[in-house]
This record gives sequence, structure tokens and C-alpha cells, in this order.
Amino acid sequence: MFRSILYTQWKWARVALLVIAVAAVAVPVGSVRAIGGVVISTSVGDALNTMRVWSVLYVLLAALAGLILAISAWAADQRGHHVYALSLPVPRWHYVLLRFAAGLALLLVPALLVWLGALIASAIVVLPAGLATYPGALALRWLLAAFVAYALFFAISSGTARTAGLVLGVIAGIVAADLMLALMDQPAVVIEFVVSKFFEWPGVFEVFTGRWMLIDV
Amino acid sequence: MSGAAIEVRDLGYRVGRGAFEIRDLSLTVPTGAIYGFLGPNGSGKTTTIRLILGLAKQASGRIVVLGHEQPSEGPRVMARTGYVPERPHLYPSLTVGEQMDFHASFHARWDAARAAELVSQFGLIRGQRIGSLSKGETGKLMMLLALAQTPDLLVLDEPTDGLDPVVRRDVLMAVLEYVSQREATVFISSHLVHELERVCDWVGVMDRGRLVAELPMHTFKSGIKRLRVSEPPALLGDTPFVLLARETGDGSAESWLVRGWQPPMRQYFDGVGANLREVIDLDLEEGFVELLRSARQPRA
Repeated sequence: MFRSILYTQWKWARVALLVIAVAAVAVPVGSVRAIGGVVISTSVGDALNTMRVWSVLYVLLAALAGLILAISAWAADQRGHHVYALSLPVPRWHYVLLRFAAGLALLLVPALLVWLGALIASAIVVLPAGLATYPGALALRWLLAAFVAYALFFAISSGTARTAGLVLGVIAGIVAADLMLALMDQPAVVIEFVVSKFFEWPGVFEVFTGRWMLIDV
Repeated sequence: MSGAAIEVRDLGYRVGRGAFEIRDLSLTVPTGAIYGFLGPNGSGKTTTIRLILGLAKQASGRIVVLGHEQPSEGPRVMARTGYVPERPHLYPSLTVGEQMDFHASFHARWDAARAAELVSQFGLIRGQRIGSLSKGETGKLMMLLALAQTPDLLVLDEPTDGLDPVVRRDVLMAVLEYVSQREATVFISSHLVHELERVCDWVGVMDRGRLVAELPMHTFKSGIKRLRVSEPPALLGDTPFVLLARETGDGSAESWLVRGWQPPMRQYFDGVGANLREVIDLDLEEGFVELLRSARQPRA
């Protein structure tokens, strides 16, 4: 059962997964090339700044991987109004769990490739004293962020168009509330409050912030 | 409830707080029967099927399928039920073979040999993408999946709608062949009356969310007649048959549509001083149309 589900999700997401896999290797290697390749040609400060700029790409890649795998898990069932899935002889929670687990298993592929890319980048660069590479921590952080993104988008895309509309409505409401406050010459704090609740510890999206550095002090 | 394959009692269904789409529906599908579920488009056939299979939840009433309560025991029912929905629901990016493998992995009673036979019988190609199949081929594939899981109950929702006569015959033949081998129960909905006439032994007629008739097919076919009556009485009294409609014809003659007709009932007309001039057999489609008409405008 799980094998069949895994196969279908692999088939639906394989092209996007291939692109993400290439990017997963290319980003860490590219970040090292950006600071001079084998021998770092910039100052330590500049090198760390460049790493910080490149770290955005890991965040984007993790979010993108989560989004694509979540959408591909449900797209085919949604096209058929879930009739086929509902007519299978398994409880609904079981089917959802199978789909979720299959997407999670596929997420391990780009995570391993981020790790591989980071290991390659670490192996080819010669660092000055005081700097070190963190391929394992980076790959683990990437996997965690991709998992959070996957879980969020999976939950949204497993629902109906009404659910998606509700989520978008809440986001639009937050933005509208801030705009209203700004028009009334009040400090616009709604977005700031929401962001602080979700993106700062112990917020669920905290993993997306902070230092995504392959090379750090 | 009895040991019927499907037993529905006092079923009610509505979307949200809207009006009831299905009202006080009760039906019984005997085990081993081929039950034709007739009704015009929009009469509630598909909704009833979805409720029977546990794909939707009823507002009131009780449904028991193969001895299991619905919708709480949906997976148990689906393990023994082959379902062909009204619209194609399969994964278009998979190939025929991949879809079969996927389906087989969920059904413990999957008959791989039978599936292979049906692939060849239906002229399907395992490597062909489902998205590129014609309507007829998709219909055949859905039937293949339903049959190869060796179900005790087949629920077919307009399975031949939009198919050409050759494909329609192939599909129905495969169903009949399966039923003759396995003694399975078939619940088949359609608005194509002639199609069901040939295969069904029970018939239920649905209209506007209500079941307006449920009877053995032979009773349905033979019991509905059109009578030509001259000098009809103004007051009918108790008729031995069910008078569905009464229409005035030429002069003093009338045309009566009746259900439950039997030849000895001719005596009734002598008793009321009327003259029964002719008894006309109606085919199933005419009977179906008249039944719906009388259900919508009861008693002339």
C-alpha cells in the first residue's frame, strides 16, 4: 500500500524533485565558489556576509520543496474530487497518513543532497583559522524547515478550496488590519505581532530564521 | 434489518441546512439480485449511491450494506464492493498497468489473472496513459478495476452513459459474466431504461429525491397497462388495480393508465357499467415515463 502511494507521488513530483535535487547540490557548492572557490579570496567578514546572502536560497529551497511535494500529494485526488481515494477500503485517516508519509520520504532525497552538496563544498574549500563548515547542521536544519513547510502546505492542500480560501482570508485580514491602523496614523503592529509569534522561538516557523551558514565562526 | 445486500430505511440527506435532496427513502436490494435504479437526471440517484457507499453522511435514517452500518463501516464495505462512479475518477498521469497495480495493493481479493484476462478482453494496453484513453476505454478500465477486486457487491453509477453501443455491450456482458460466476449482487443506476430492462430482476424508480416504486422487474414490465375504456363511470369506487392516470379521449372513451393489472380484473368494468375495449401493453420506457408522470401528478 505504502509502496503504491510512494510510487504515485514520486511519479507526480519527479520532475520538480529533480530540479530541487540539482539545486540542493548546487547551492552549497555555489556559495563556496562565490567566496573565491578553493582558497577564500575575500576577508573573513565578507565571506560570512556572502554566506548569509546565500543562506536565503536554502530557506527558499526548503519552502519550495515542501510546497511542491504537498501539492503533488493531493493534486490528482483533488482533480477527481477525492472520489477514488474515498472508495478505497482504508479509513480516511489511514489514507491521509500514507500520503503524508510518502511525501516525507521523498523529502529525504533533497535533504540528503543538500548534505552531500555541503560535504562536497566543505571538502573543496580551504578555510582560514577561526572559520569552520557545518554540513550536517545545515542539512538537518534544511530538512526540518522543509518538513515544517511540507506539513503546512499538506494540511492546506488536503482541504477544500474553502479551506484554502479561509487561510488566504486570514492573511488578507491581517494585512488589511495593518493598513487600517496605518491609515489612522496608528503604529501598524498586527503583522509584526503575528510574525513575532510565528517566526520567533517558540514559533513554529522559527526554523526559517536564524543562521543558515555552511561556513561560520 | 434482514440479510439483504443493501437495506436503506427512512433515509434523509441535505447539504448543510438546505432543503432535503433525499426524503424518507427506503429500499431493499436482495442478495444476488441485479437491481436497476432508474430515475431521470437530477433525481438523486448518484447522491443515494454516495450515501450507500459511505462517501457522504446521511442527515437521518439507517443504511446497512453487506451487513455493515454506513457510513461508520465504510472501509469494510468498500473492501467487498466494486464501484464504478458516474464520472471518471482515476489518476490520468498513471498508465493502465500502474493504476491496476495501485488498485491491487489496496484490495486483498484482487484477482490478477482475471485482471489480465479483462485487459485483453477489453483491448486495453497496460502501458497507455489513462489521460490519453477514450471515454469508452476509461469506462472499460473502471469496470475492470471493479470486477478484478472480486466484489460481493457491484455498484455501478450510470456505467455506460455516453458509451457507444459496442462498448456498452462489452461492459454489460462482463458484468453479467461475473455475476453468473460469483453470484454477486449488482446495484446499477441508469436513465437508459432499455438497458436495464434486459439485465435487471429488480427495479427501483427514483424521482425528486423519493423512491416512487420498487418491485420485481417482471411485475413492473407486465403490470403497467393502458386501458381504452368507453362509457366510463363518473365515480370509480374501489378499483382492483392502481389507477395512475385517467385521460379523456375521443367522444366518451377514456384512456386509463393502471398498475397491477391482471386479466380477471375485466369483471370490474361490467360491475360499473363501463366497456373495456382494449388492453395495451406498455414497454418499460413507457411504463417508466408514465410512472414518473403519475408520481408528479397523483390520481387523475
